[in-house]
Amino acid sequence: MKRIPGVILVLVLTLSLALAACQPKPAEPQTIQIGLQAPLTGDFAAEGQWAVQSVEVAKELLNKKGGVLGKQIEIIVADDASNPKDSALAAQKLISQGLKAVIASYGSSVTAPAADLYDANKVVSVGYGCTAVRLTMEKQRPYFFRTSGRDDTQSEFFAKFAVEVLGAKRIAIMHDNQDYGRGVAEDAKKFLQPYIDAGQVELVYYDAITPGESDYSAVVSQIKEINPDVWFFTAYYPEAALLLKQARQAGYTGLFVGNNSVPTPEFEKIAGIDVIKGSIHLNEPMPQFLNYPESIEFMEAYKAKYNELPGSIWAVYAADALNALAAAIQKAGALDPDAIAQTMRTMTDVKGITGPLMFTERGDRKNIPYYAYIYNDQGQLELYYPK
Amino acid sequence: MQLLLEQLTNGLTIGSFYALVAMGYSMVYGVMKLINFAHGDFFTLGSYLGYTILVIGSGWVTRTFGLWGGIALAILGAMLGLALGGLLVERVAYRPVYKAGRLPLVVSALGASIFISNGIMAVWGPRFQAYPQTGIPSGTLRLFGEIYIPDIKLVTLLVSLTLMAVIYFIVEKTLFGAAVRATALDRETATLMGINFRSIILFVFSVGPALGALAGVFAGLNYSRIIFNMGWGYGLKAFTATIIGGIGNIPGAMVGGLLLGLLESLFEGFVSGAWKNVFVFLILIVILIVRPTGLIGEKVAEKV
Repeated sequence: MKRIPGVILVLVLTLSLALAACQPKPAEPQTIQIGLQAPLTGDFAAEGQWAVQSVEVAKELLNKKGGVLGKQIEIIVADDASNPKDSALAAQKLISQGLKAVIASYGSSVTAPAADLYDANKVVSVGYGCTAVRLTMEKQRPYFFRTSGRDDTQSEFFAKFAVEVLGAKRIAIMHDNQDYGRGVAEDAKKFLQPYIDAGQVELVYYDAITPGESDYSAVVSQIKEINPDVWFFTAYYPEAALLLKQARQAGYTGLFVGNNSVPTPEFEKIAGIDVIKGSIHLNEPMPQFLNYPESIEFMEAYKAKYNELPGSIWAVYAADALNALAAAIQKAGALDPDAIAQTMRTMTDVKGITGPLMFTERGDRKNIPYYAYIYNDQGQLELYYPK
Repeated sequence: MQLLLEQLTNGLTIGSFYALVAMGYSMVYGVMKLINFAHGDFFTLGSYLGYTILVIGSGWVTRTFGLWGGIALAILGAMLGLALGGLLVERVAYRPVYKAGRLPLVVSALGASIFISNGIMAVWGPRFQAYPQTGIPSGTLRLFGEIYIPDIKLVTLLVSLTLMAVIYFIVEKTLFGAAVRATALDRETATLMGINFRSIILFVFSVGPALGALAGVFAGLNYSRIIFNMGWGYGLKAFTATIIGGIGNIPGAMVGGLLLGLLESLFEGFVSGAWKNVFVFLILIVILIVRPTGLIGEKVAEKV
């Protein structure tokens, strides 16, 4: 084959570049496009699905009320597959579609790389299930917000609750060596320290498990041997279900306290009612216990559409992320990232499904309360503290 | 003492999963010199078949045949399904490229692995599935007052060890077993001696996947949580067990699997859970340095 002379090649390239530049600009979209990054596959696939459904319901409610800036809202979904690597890809995908505001994502280690990308590209992102402290406190990301609370709130609540309400003397803390779990565990240890120093309580176990495995009988035997009053598990529901199930089979009878990503329908299904009853779980207000007018309206619409309630609070936070963004865009008067971010920091009168939507200078949600819930004998959650 | 005994039982149970899966790896490698990447997915598929048998008609099998009858049916169904599945994969993915050399075969195995695991995801969905609570025995045996062994764990251990003994007997003590071993040693010469290579292939590609399926159903019964990509983790561990025992050597795979399970449990129980995998793979490296052919690897090493 003859080689194409270089000159012709250069000419063709230049020409095609020139042509590309002459392309008419795409027409102004007729909708307000907002991205949603969610784990649709992988370990948190259930959370991702609930998030998509919740955001869909929130979108329909907003659109029924006239949308934003007179336009209807359109949601563009990207799957981050529950892992940081695909999270960066999902973020790239949404950024390259020219979005200015996105809802992203569930899981702290998954959200971190995406938040960096959104920030670098001046896209406002709102997390809904990422609670690691470092996301907002390690460095300032001017375009990052979250509708969920922060881990240290939970850890502080745990220390006080375990010692002063449950009267625990010997506490075990177990995490999974991932961002989120280790963060909660480290903070819990920190907040327990004053009680330990005062001789009120003893930390009898502090270690990690390997996430993603099926057999935790070795750890479980160890827990049974140590026999703590309170066994605080700070990671996700798949491992929690297996650990608790295997611990009960092994004859551990002490109290199991799960953190906010444990009590989900999946947890109940894998472990079974006999195993979960009597276990206590710390959480931000759970969907079925929300009673603001906005929550009731949302839950009714959700139930009408999907015939169930959202499986976790995180999905509802995703819906509230949309509510916060919609309100901020409306107030800012344009789809301009700087104006939206500025408005998010200063707005005080926006009511969400989970209460007032207000954010700190660093992007954290203000005033998130914490509760302890207990599974009753029918395997249903009841409010345990504070009543 | 009590803790040690418990950790030993834990280790043996995990080890028997690894051993069952490892045997399948080793059989195929011995005869075809192929690392069958699809083997971990046979395990997952077996687990899903057992799950399906237990959940159809919301527990019809368990209601009709009783708890243990249901479990036996789930196991038999999954093993039979996978014996056929294994033969099908061999026919479709391996036989056509067998003459092309080892590299195309390995790529084809990877393809089969991806195909099966994505197929499972497409059929059963990407979310966790849970074996039904009604189909799983919940009893626990109490030994010496303080040692708890769940019934299902005991059954897992007994069935796995029995099957291993049977396979060991077939491979090491029968004429057919001698043919399998001869083929593993040198296929050309074995064929010249009148050994029917196709019947050997039939054996390894039905028994291997069936053992994987058995391990898969037991994993579901023990832990109830199953997911489409779980074969990867088990496959990796079982492959490690195969290497530890000496690849291509069936008793080696059993020993490697049980040893790996014990090491994991003891380390996790007495040192640290977070460092478990680091430790396990460190052991693997040490074994490979000291005995490059694995613990029971001499027989394979004879071959140049």
